[in-house]
Amino acid sequence: MRVILSIASTTVGEAIRRRVLLIILLIGVLFLAVAPGLTVLSARQERTVLIGMTLGIIQLTSAVIAIVLTVYMIPNEIERRTIYTILCKPVQRWQFLVGKYLGAVAALGLMMALMTIVLVLVFALQQGVQQMDQLVLLAKAPAMFFVQMSLLAAVAIFFSTFVSPLVNFFLSGGLYLVGSLFNSFFEVISSNPNSPALAKGFATFANTILPNFANYNVQNPIINPGQIIENESIYYVRVTIYGLLYIGILLVGGIVIFDRREV
Amino acid sequence: MKGNKAKLFGVMAVLLVGAGLLQRTAIYPSWKKNFAPRQQGLSSDLSPDQLLVAMAGFRELIAGILWVRADSFFDTGNYDAILPIIRLVTWLDPKQIDVYSTGMWHIAYNFTDEEQRSDRRYVPPALALGKEGAENNPHTYEMFFETGWLWYHKIDDDHQKAVNWFQQALERKDIDFIAARKNLLSNALQRNGQVREALDFYLKLLADAEKVYEKDPSFGNQQNRDTIENNIDTMLVRMSQRGWFATQLGYRDQGEYDIDPPFDVGFSAQVTVEDPMVLRIRGSWNVQPVGSRIRFILRDSDFPNAVPGGMEWDKTDSVSLDPPKNITYVQDGLFVRNRRFDRKIDMSRDKTMYPCTKPDYVIEFFYNPRSAPPHIQDKFGWNGEGMTDKNFLNTEIRPGSRVIFATLKLTRDQLLRRGEWIDRVPVVQTPNYVPPKRLKDEPRMIAVPSTRAETAGGPNEPAPELAPSK
Repeated sequence: MRVILSIASTTVGEAIRRRVLLIILLIGVLFLAVAPGLTVLSARQERTVLIGMTLGIIQLTSAVIAIVLTVYMIPNEIERRTIYTILCKPVQRWQFLVGKYLGAVAALGLMMALMTIVLVLVFALQQGVQQMDQLVLLAKAPAMFFVQMSLLAAVAIFFSTFVSPLVNFFLSGGLYLVGSLFNSFFEVISSNPNSPALAKGFATFANTILPNFANYNVQNPIINPGQIIENESIYYVRVTIYGLLYIGILLVGGIVIFDRREV
Repeated sequence: MKGNKAKLFGVMAVLLVGAGLLQRTAIYPSWKKNFAPRQQGLSSDLSPDQLLVAMAGFRELIAGILWVRADSFFDTGNYDAILPIIRLVTWLDPKQIDVYSTGMWHIAYNFTDEEQRSDRRYVPPALALGKEGAENNPHTYEMFFETGWLWYHKIDDDHQKAVNWFQQALERKDIDFIAARKNLLSNALQRNGQVREALDFYLKLLADAEKVYEKDPSFGNQQNRDTIENNIDTMLVRMSQRGWFATQLGYRDQGEYDIDPPFDVGFSAQVTVEDPMVLRIRGSWNVQPVGSRIRFILRDSDFPNAVPGGMEWDKTDSVSLDPPKNITYVQDGLFVRNRRFDRKIDMSRDKTMYPCTKPDYVIEFFYNPRSAPPHIQDKFGWNGEGMTDKNFLNTEIRPGSRVIFATLKLTRDQLLRRGEWIDRVPVVQTPNYVPPKRLKDEPRMIAVPSTRAETAGGPNEPAPELAPSK
């Protein structure tokens, strides 16, 4: 375990030093800060637009960070040959992979926490600190996004064990996009009586087997507080378990592939 | 390693089954119920690119920008372009009440032919949009009120529906901020024939308004209280003069009331197809005061969900932006002046709105005193007690109300002046139709005599003139 933590902490340090990630983070934070100026676009819906937009900024920025952070992780180590200095020590490959993943997730968590703090500050300045309960409510979505991005990072690290970073970027990004649409597409296909049975079957299969990122898009009740959610906490626990299960699948898959790979 | 690999694959399989089961049985049903962008499911009207935009984040912002864009389409009169925006915005952000209410109004009112006659085929989807808006925004009165208003004003039939929607609006607290909107329930109750309930509701509003005024004696609160008082006064006078109290208390036969004896409106009508898709509608309506509008309907004989004098407007839950292209439904009001109506309806320039693809058509004339203005109702009563017609009085098609209802038939060939009707002018009319004569000394100013039977003559008799003013 100490080995894994050691690799993870080194990875966090590396991630924080990477300029490209810091630039993406900076852009995200800047957008969050100027977001209140764009609420004029919707009469009577300023608050709704502001929450929707800021959560969208966090989600998009986090997704880009998660992918950029992880796609280069393993290939860079191999390319620079730094992996040899690690693997020649008493470090198993699986420990290396898991350590790298945990480091990436920790770095991601730090960056998302920073963005969430900016989000809360923006709202505290605009709406006043007296509405603390709403600010806490606001932080719920980034918490779910964190699970979502951890899953995305697992997808990217899985692919990074056998494809090049560029391919991995599009593969992970594409899977994230498709995974975000799964529930909606599945809903359309299953509720349409004219959908072919084959399409319905495929949609059911895809919705069951492939990683479903849409589960973590829980903005609706936060953006529109009038909406009543049944068993909200249970839902959050379930999707977190789902995320952990899927991260487990991807890491195990990555370990199997990485173990066989010649470096 | 081989053994380990098998174990790892086993672990993966177990995890995959666990994740799949969790997704299918627990997560997806809950997500669909609570977190789906639109709880009713996605609209099949949205194209894949619209779907992509929707799911790419920034839904509310995009919805706002789209609505700003729609505003420019309103300005330029490009009404068709607004429809998909309405649908997309309400899907992206189902909490945009303004878009729901404006969209509902736009769909129901703004699609008109060259003569500004609205396309009633759009009313059911407009109602469906209102219903969806109310379901998505149950915490505010707004969409309940707006949907009620569509029933009350645009459809003006099946008034129980307007009453139901207004009552649901009143259950929401935020309607308290706009006191005047509450009054409309009383009007809807009157149109629904619930006169006692309408009065009771006004009395309740007055009690509430007095309490509010006591707490805050501002000018606005005083005005609100005074308006309700005035409405109650007017209503009590009407209830008295229209014999409502006498009927309820059983002494109607002991006095003279404005609704007695029932007045024969002497309805007759003739429809001439002057040119292909051009109708001339003439007829008699023996009521001198202005304010009578007789509903005219031309529809396919097999028009879906048709009922006498209208249709079942809320039969669909689908907000279709493209109503069926092969059905024809024309509805208009025939304005009565000097005891006759004479109206030309030109449908020839709007082939999309009036496709006329069916072989047979039904023409309906419908008059319901519940929709009449107060000065006509003063004679006819709320339910038509003071109105009759020896040929076309109908007490069945609108239970509880005495209405005038007549039907005629036309064929497609007649309507399009085809076949044997190329040279012959199709004319259909009620059996009692007599062409109303224009009187030589007919006053230019419309006389407004009492509608009491002894002073009102037939369609060909001169109207009594007003005494010259001094």
